[in-house]
Amino acid sequence: MASFVSAGLIGISLGAQYALLALGFTLIFGILGVVNFAHGGFYVLGGYAAYSCVTFLGLPYPLAVVAAMLATGALGYVFELFVVERVVDDHLATLMLTLGLYLMIGTGIQAVYGPESPQFGFPVTGTLRFAGFYMPLENLVVLAVCLVAIAGVYALMYRTDLGRGLRALADNRQVAATQGLRPKLLFPLAFALSCGLAGLTGALVTPILSLGPLVGEPVLAMAFLTVILGGFGSIIGATVAAFLVGLIEAYSVVYLGGSKGALALFVLVLVVLIVRPSGLFGKEARGA
Amino acid sequence: MSADKAPERTGSLDVRSITKSFGGLHVFSDVSFRLAPGELMGVIGPNGAGKTTLINVISGKLPPSAGSILLDGREIGGMPFHALSRLGLVRSFQQTNTFKSATVRENLARAIRFSGSPPSIWDKLDGMLRQFDLAPRLDIPSDKLPYGLQKMLGLVLAYTTSPRVLLLDEPAAGLERRERQQVDAFVQAAQADHGCAVLIVEHDMDLIKRLCPRILVLDAGRILAEGPPAEVLARPDVIAAYMGIVEDEEAA
Amino acid sequence: MARFSQFGGEIAAIAILGLSFLVPFVTDSPFVYSTQNLIAVAVTAAFSVYIMLRMDLLTFAVPAFMAIGGYAAAIAGLKGGIVDSFALTALSFIAPALVALPLGILILRLRGIYFVLVTFLLTQILQLLIFETPDLTGGTNGLVGMPATTLFGIELADNRAVLLLAIGVAFAAAVITALVSVWLRREFAAIEENEVLAQSLGLVVWRYKVIGFVAAAGLAGMAGFSLVNMLLTAHPTSFSPQSSVNYIAYTIIGGRGSMLGPLVGATLLVWMSSIFSTHGEFSEGLYGLLIVVVVLAARGGIVGTLAAGYRRLSGQWRAGGSAAPIVGTVKEAAHERG
Repeated sequence: MASFVSAGLIGISLGAQYALLALGFTLIFGILGVVNFAHGGFYVLGGYAAYSCVTFLGLPYPLAVVAAMLATGALGYVFELFVVERVVDDHLATLMLTLGLYLMIGTGIQAVYGPESPQFGFPVTGTLRFAGFYMPLENLVVLAVCLVAIAGVYALMYRTDLGRGLRALADNRQVAATQGLRPKLLFPLAFALSCGLAGLTGALVTPILSLGPLVGEPVLAMAFLTVILGGFGSIIGATVAAFLVGLIEAYSVVYLGGSKGALALFVLVLVVLIVRPSGLFGKEARGA
Repeated sequence: MSADKAPERTGSLDVRSITKSFGGLHVFSDVSFRLAPGELMGVIGPNGAGKTTLINVISGKLPPSAGSILLDGREIGGMPFHALSRLGLVRSFQQTNTFKSATVRENLARAIRFSGSPPSIWDKLDGMLRQFDLAPRLDIPSDKLPYGLQKMLGLVLAYTTSPRVLLLDEPAAGLERRERQQVDAFVQAAQADHGCAVLIVEHDMDLIKRLCPRILVLDAGRILAEGPPAEVLARPDVIAAYMGIVEDEEAA
Repeated sequence: MARFSQFGGEIAAIAILGLSFLVPFVTDSPFVYSTQNLIAVAVTAAFSVYIMLRMDLLTFAVPAFMAIGGYAAAIAGLKGGIVDSFALTALSFIAPALVALPLGILILRLRGIYFVLVTFLLTQILQLLIFETPDLTGGTNGLVGMPATTLFGIELADNRAVLLLAIGVAFAAAVITALVSVWLRREFAAIEENEVLAQSLGLVVWRYKVIGFVAAAGLAGMAGFSLVNMLLTAHPTSFSPQSSVNYIAYTIIGGRGSMLGPLVGATLLVWMSSIFSTHGEFSEGLYGLLIVVVVLAARGGIVGTLAAGYRRLSGQWRAGGSAAPIVGTVKEAAHERG
C-alpha cells in the first residue's frame, strides 16, 4: 500500500512535469500550426542555463530557474520572429526549421559544455516520510512549482485578454484576424511562452533526473505521446493526458520494471489512434 | 461541345435538416432542401451566412454535426471527401485551385486519372478548352495562367470527373464581367454533357438570375427563403438581410 | 528526349550507382572502401526518406525499419542458416514492409502531423523493444558473428565483396525508388502539391500514402541489412533514434525534388563526416544549420539549386503555347498514363 501511494505521488509529480512540457508544445501547435521539434532542445537549454547561472554566476537556484525561463523564452521569441515566421504556413518547412534548430542547440551545448553530464544537483534534498509512505523532498518542490506554473498558464489563457486572443487564433485564424487580432504580434509571444515553459521544466527537472546534451529526445517523445493522447491543440487534454502518462510510467516502473512502461504507453497511443483518433479532448483528427 | 443527344439526367441530392457547428458556434442549422436530377439551383446570402461551409459539408470536406444528406437516396453524411467524389458528387473551390506547378495538360490528366473518368471525356474537353481559351495554353504551368483562366481551369477539372451533382463555390468571384459569361457557358455545358444537377453558391446576383430557375437564401445559418429568383428577391425580409440589418458578420 | 528530362533524376541516380560498382576495382584504399560502404548504406536509407517527402511527409522511422530489416536478416542468417544475398535482401525488404502496412493504414488516414509523431515514437519504441527481447535480438549485446553471405553460391567474404554487395543493395534500392516514384508520379505530385484538390477529384490519398510508406519501410530495411552485413553484427547502437535525423538531413540538404538529391546529399555528407571524423559531434549541428539554410534560402537543396542555376545560365525557357491539335495532344497525355 505504501509503495502504491508513493508511486502515485511520483506519478503525479512526473505528470506535472509532462503537463508543463506538453502545454507548451500543444500551445504552439494549436496557435501557429507548428510542430516544434526544438521543444526538447529548449528543455535541455533551460537545464544548462540554470546550471550556468548557479555555477558560474553564483545565483541562488530559484533565481537561476527564472533566468532560464526568461532566456529560453527570449530565444523562442527571436526564433519565431526572424525564422519560423517566414514560412509559418508551410507545415513541412516549419517542421524542418525547428528540427534544424534542435540539432544546432544540441551541438552548441556540446561545443560549450562538452558531451559529459555536468554536476548539477537540486539544492533541496531529503525525504518526507508520512504515515508509512515516503516522497523525496525535491520532487515535492518541483511538483509545487509545476502546479503553480500550470495554474499560471490556465490563468493566462482563460483570464486575460492575451490568452483569449491566443485561443481565438487557435480556433480560427481568419476570424480572429478579422476581429482585429494580429498574428504577427501574437505568434512570437506564443512561441516565447511555449519555449519558456520548456526551459522552466528543464531548469526544474534536470537537476533531479539528469542533464546532458541528449536528454531532450526522450522528453520530446513524452510530449508527443501526451498530445496524441490528449488531442492536438487541446489545453485541457494535454494536462489530463500528462498526469495519466506520469502515473502509468510511475506504476509500471514499480510493478512491471524496466522500459515496459514506455512500451505500454506506446501501445496505448496506438489503441487511442484506432478507437478515438482525436484523443481525449481533441478536435477533428481525420485528414483534410 | 454539347453531345448530339442530351445525356440522361442523373444525381439527386436530398439534404435533411443538417447542422454544422464548430465548438459552440452554429455556422448553419436545420438546413433542408432537395435538388432533383439535372436541376440547377442557386444559393445566395450575405457574407458569413454559412454558404461555403454548406458546400464543405455536402461535399464531404467536413462532416455534418447533425442531419442527413442523401445522394440518390443513399446516406452520404460523414463519408470521406474522395469517396463522394467517386460517387459523382464533385465540387469546385472559391479560391483558384489547381496543381500549381503542373501544366494545364497535366492538371487534366490527373483529374481524369484520379476520378476514373472514361477516355471519351477527352473529346468533350476539346471544345470546352477552346471556348475558355485554355487550348493554346496546354503546356503552361497552371500558376502562370491569368487569374480568370486559373479559375476556369478549376471548373474544368471538376467537369473532367464526369460529375452527377456539381457544387460550385462562388465560380464568378474575382472574375471580370466578360469572364463571367464563361461561367454561364460552363454550367450549361456541364449540364448538357453530363446531365448533372448543379448547386451554385454565388454573390453575383445577375449571374444567379440569368442561370437559376430556383434559389435558396441563406441568412445567419438558416434558410430564409426559397423559390424563383424574381419572387424571392422581392421579399422584404430578403432585402432586409441584404441591407445588413441582420447582424451575422461574425459567423463563418 | 522529353522522357529523358522528365525522368532525368531517376535515370541519373541509377546510372551513377551503376558506375560506382567500378570503384572497388580501381582502388583498394581502406578509407575509400569503408567510406563508400557507409555511403551505400546511407543512400539506401535516404531513399526511404525521399519517398515519404515526395508526399510531404517527414519520417523519423528509418532507423526503426532498418532495425527490423537488419535483425530479420541477422536472425535468418544466424538461426535459419540463410546466407543467399538475394533471399536476405528480399527478406530485409519484406519484414519491415509487413510492419508498415497495418501501421500505415492506421495513421495515414489521419492528419499528416500524426504520421510524423508516430514515426518518431516508433523509433524510440523499437530501441526499447530490442532491449526487452534479448532471446530474439540479443538485447544490449546484439547479434554477433553473422555468417558471410553468398552470391550464386560464391561466398562474399573479403572487403571488396562486402562493398560490392552494399553497392548492389543501394542499386536495387534506387531501382525500386525509381519504379515507385515513376509509377505513382501523378499521385505523389498531386498529394505534395494540393492534397485537398486531389481528394476532391476522387483520389484515395491515404491509399497511395500507404503504398509509399510500405515501400519506404522496405527500402530502410534493405539499408539495415546492408549495415548489418558490413559490421557482421546487428546491434542496437546501429539503429539509434538520433540517426534518423541524419537520413532526413541527407535527403533535404541534397534536395528532395529529385532522386539525385538523396544520392548527392548522402555521398557528400558521409564523405565529409569521414574526413572530419574527429569532430563527429559537430556534424549534427552542421546538418541543422544546412537544413535551415535549405528551407529559408535554397528550397531545392544542393541538386535543386544547381539545376536551377544551370537552367538560368543556359537560358532555356520553355514558354509559349503549342499550336498542335488539342485532341491529339491531350490524347497523347492519356496514352502516356498507360
